[in-house]
Amino acid sequence: MKDNFLPSAPLTINWAVTNRCNFKCSHCYSRSDPSEELSFEDLSECIRQAAEAGVLSINFGGGEPLLRRDLLAIARFASGLGMRVSMNSNGYLLDRDMVFRLREHGFTKVGISIDSHLPEVHDNFRGIRGSHERAVKALAFLKEAGIETSLSTVICRINHTDITALVRFALESRVRQLNFHNFKCSGLGYSNKDTLDLSSEEWREFYREALALKEQTSDLEISLDDPIIALLGKHNNTSMVKGSICGKLSLNIKTNGEITPCGFIPVVIGNITKDNLKVLWKSSPVLEKMRHKTPTGKCASCGSYEDCLGGCSARALALTGDMNNPDPHCWRNES
Amino acid sequence: MKLFRNPDVMWREEEEYKDQAMAGLEKGEDIEDVGTSVLFSGGTMMSLNILGTEIWKLCDGRTLDEIVRALVEIFDVQPEVLREDAAGFISELKEKGYIYEG
Repeated sequence: MKDNFLPSAPLTINWAVTNRCNFKCSHCYSRSDPSEELSFEDLSECIRQAAEAGVLSINFGGGEPLLRRDLLAIARFASGLGMRVSMNSNGYLLDRDMVFRLREHGFTKVGISIDSHLPEVHDNFRGIRGSHERAVKALAFLKEAGIETSLSTVICRINHTDITALVRFALESRVRQLNFHNFKCSGLGYSNKDTLDLSSEEWREFYREALALKEQTSDLEISLDDPIIALLGKHNNTSMVKGSICGKLSLNIKTNGEITPCGFIPVVIGNITKDNLKVLWKSSPVLEKMRHKTPTGKCASCGSYEDCLGGCSARALALTGDMNNPDPHCWRNES
Repeated sequence: MKLFRNPDVMWREEEEYKDQAMAGLEKGEDIEDVGTSVLFSGGTMMSLNILGTEIWKLCDGRTLDEIVRALVEIFDVQPEVLREDAAGFISELKEKGYIYEG
């Protein structure tokens, strides 16, 4: 197949159902977002439109999705339309009863955020004492209920040198997947970037170690969702998509129905309550730009550009004002 | 050996592209690069052309022989050629974990 194949509609949507949260994370991109929540009826209509467009899966997020009282009904509605339903949660509200109800209502996968193997480090970062313990218990309950689990870790200043311990912790927790999310300068993450973000050299060291761990670890899928690892000679040969998948395979929908290319790019391309998803997918100038980036600055002479496509568009936009610019995390020197 | 699609792999047919491929097929055009379905698993997408799509759909518990017999009804291609293509493609999908034998 051709490398530039664009599906007729997004394959998956990250869908924020609430911006409310019971945590106080200093890197949060949504807690400061004042957007209103759609009613169950309006949200259901939007989900129906997504299903009719051919969207295969929805990952509910926020905010903490479990704070939305009708989450189970929303999930049942979406799964009833044939979509695969998952969510990202901090795990605090997941007890045994709730995880079995999640399964009954169609959830097949739940990602739990844990940022350190050390409870005090995680609790301090998330702003809630006891949150690590609750998250670990949530993972065990989910396992018991037969729901696939993943552990999501935002790599930043508090944990970037502790990833061997994190991998060991993930193995002990018997999760199927460990997602290392690179720190993004969005929302509060932008305000706190000076204390949380790493230097480009530190990013290089982190990825070298993470890729080595990924190769050594067989019972755990370690996911690194960062296009700039192409600089270390790691190409995702199984994927037809180069660079970031945002706007190529996936979209983000905010609590009020506004559509953005990803949760970390605050550029609204439309609203699913008013706009046709498939039409937007094909005609949005913002998505068009993301799909056809052109090398600028140091990218112009970089041999990895074909695979990395300038790295993460969200970071470039947040820190340089143009998503087409080189990813500020990139460690390659100008030549 | 019966062949099954891995239920963890999400997929859909791309109707617009399928129409385009069918029209091209009628005109005798090369439609090998027209993706008529997408498979999606673990954040990775794979697009299949019309032959790949039909083989994928036929992996519903049929054997390779049964799949080839069904393909002969759809495509005006020699059975031995179809068999070779289908076997190679199924082997690739099995390696990726998208198809399993049962």
